[in-house]
Amino acid sequence: MRTVRLVVWAMGAALCATLFVGAIRGDKLSAGKASFAYAGALVAISVGVGVWRRRPESRTGILLTALPFAFVLPDLWPVFPRSTLAVTVTLAASWLAAPILAHVVLSYPTGWLSSKVERGLVAAAYVFALVYALPLLLFYDPRSPRYGDVIHGSTCPECALPLTHVTWYDVTRTRQLFDWGLSVLAVLFLAVLVRKLMRASPRGRSVVLPLVAAGFFVAAQFVVQIALYHRPVNSWGSSGWFWIVAIAELAIPLALAAGLLWGRTERSAVADLVVELEHTPPGSVRDTLAQALGDPSLELALWLPEQRIYVNRHGEKLELPTATPERAVTMLGPVEAPVAALVHDPALLERRALLGAAGAAARLALENERLHAELRRQLEEVRASRARIVHAGDEERRRLERNLHDGAQQRLLGLGLALQLARRQLGAEANGTVELLAEAEGELRAALDELRELARGIHPAILTDQGLGPALQSLAERSTVPVTILAVPEQRLGEPIEAAAYFLVSESLANVAKYAHASTIRVTITWRDGEAIVEIADDGVGGADPARGSGLRGLTDRVQALGGTLSVESPPDGGTRIRAEIPCAS
Amino acid sequence: MWDDDLVPTTLLIVDDHPGFRRFARKLLEAAGFSVVGDAEDGASAIAAVRALRPDVVLLDVLLPDTTGFAIARQLAAGQERPLVVLTSSRSASDLGELIGTANARGFITKSELTVAALAALLSEAA
Repeated sequence: MRTVRLVVWAMGAALCATLFVGAIRGDKLSAGKASFAYAGALVAISVGVGVWRRRPESRTGILLTALPFAFVLPDLWPVFPRSTLAVTVTLAASWLAAPILAHVVLSYPTGWLSSKVERGLVAAAYVFALVYALPLLLFYDPRSPRYGDVIHGSTCPECALPLTHVTWYDVTRTRQLFDWGLSVLAVLFLAVLVRKLMRASPRGRSVVLPLVAAGFFVAAQFVVQIALYHRPVNSWGSSGWFWIVAIAELAIPLALAAGLLWGRTERSAVADLVVELEHTPPGSVRDTLAQALGDPSLELALWLPEQRIYVNRHGEKLELPTATPERAVTMLGPVEAPVAALVHDPALLERRALLGAAGAAARLALENERLHAELRRQLEEVRASRARIVHAGDEERRRLERNLHDGAQQRLLGLGLALQLARRQLGAEANGTVELLAEAEGELRAALDELRELARGIHPAILTDQGLGPALQSLAERSTVPVTILAVPEQRLGEPIEAAAYFLVSESLANVAKYAHASTIRVTITWRDGEAIVEIADDGVGGADPARGSGLRGLTDRVQALGGTLSVESPPDGGTRIRAEIPCAS
Repeated sequence: MWDDDLVPTTLLIVDDHPGFRRFARKLLEAAGFSVVGDAEDGASAIAAVRALRPDVVLLDVLLPDTTGFAIARQLAAGQERPLVVLTSSRSASDLGELIGTANARGFITKSELTVAALAALLSEAA
């Protein structure tokens, strides 16, 4: 590769020297102008080769080297008007500078065109240059009288490649078409440049700014030429335009090279990344990486080694896609213990060095991100399992109540009927026994009442069967302190919420009866924005301590398990107000 | 005594617990009721009422296939229209307003179910 670069540089030097000598000898340009134009081109070629040497993996160096060639090659024919080779090269290279310029500017600083718009525009420019050059090379006779303004000498040699000369090929008309076409492309190029500038990060913007300015200058001066003269100027004939064009030709490679040689390269993208990561809050590492790699579609999959799964930053499980032409997957960290995987635009695969460096730079932040994701996942699991435990508890209570009801209770009821029957059948004959039986019936009735009370406490059947309204009504009827139910939602709220609300009211009523010395209790349950709000207020002595007693603590747990909150306001002599907010999402 | 005044009354017992059906039948027969049949669920209760045309149905609220309330409403809408006495091992307050809307003559908690209570409810009805 080194030899190739050396040969290319030597060819460039020879070309510039030849043109310089030819231009001065043929009296085509003044010594000053010729020196500026061709010494400048040689400097640009040298810079290009330097960049090429320094960053062989990027196309930027090659493009930068090719650009000054493309600028000066078309000068061959004007300098050597009698040379068949010069004619041929000039025709072939007429518009070669335009696509190379677009390519190198738009792919800067990475050397890769990152968007479809940029790729499309550059491809269009190459096609344009080819479509312009081919007919000229194949069909056009420079000696034809239609040659018009492009003629530089009185005796014109042939092009080296013509298949046939056709008289109908109107070069002036065709050139005009192409000039206008090219100016349209130039305007598009300007628009894409502005877009590139807008999309760059603040640091990236400062990197591309000098080059974008230079590219803007070149494209704009071309558009101005077309607008003013309807064709590109012959800069050799106009001193002002000569300097503008010459400076433009030199400005681009110098701006680019300066940027690159100052180290504003992939390494600097990684350096920026390291600085950015310092200030990246947990959960945002993906965004920072996406910006550093220039891939907005980037997805970050964090590897949890214990569960052996990938998760996103929220801790939700992810399946890595298989690599396709649209999506590529790159693992970060050692193969046996990856830290994370990046799912990204396959274009990034061309920049493995950057991907690897970015991965290494982000290693610590990714470890951190992974721990956060794991924590979130565990929290979510705990939340879910807490809700499951409450649900399982409710289920178990319901089953217990059912068993009591269907089992012991029914047998005791049967027994009660049997005792009644025995009492009847004994009749008046055994007075003492009848009384004894009556007493046994009384005991049995009390036992049944207690059993029913117990079953109701375990789980109120009326709540399952009829919902919160009737269940609360039933609670209110049994309360020793008068209860006013101000509001209960008409619709069913789902078992967990209904159970939580019911037990909250039930426990509160019991507490009020025991401690509050209240004369009235107000219960309000409302349903608003997917949230049940349960309020129990009494006019008692207040001073209730939520930390005291396991009843309220258990209810707080129950409400929190559903993702809700419970608060107790109980100023001394100010009554007690318990308020729970329970979302329905659980 | 109260049962001497009682007009012989035909009665159907509907309950899903066989022990309860057995003891209730013995007790009520001993008290002079004519227990014409029993049923263990809602569907057979409806069939039994059509076939046996009892004067009174002692109807459990919780049945395997439906509720006693639904059966009571269905009977009230039918031709036979027996007197329905609802009963349950649960208390009236556990059942809420449903008792009042069930087209039944009354409700007796099972633990309070005595011949006297049933007779009182029926005579009140008459």
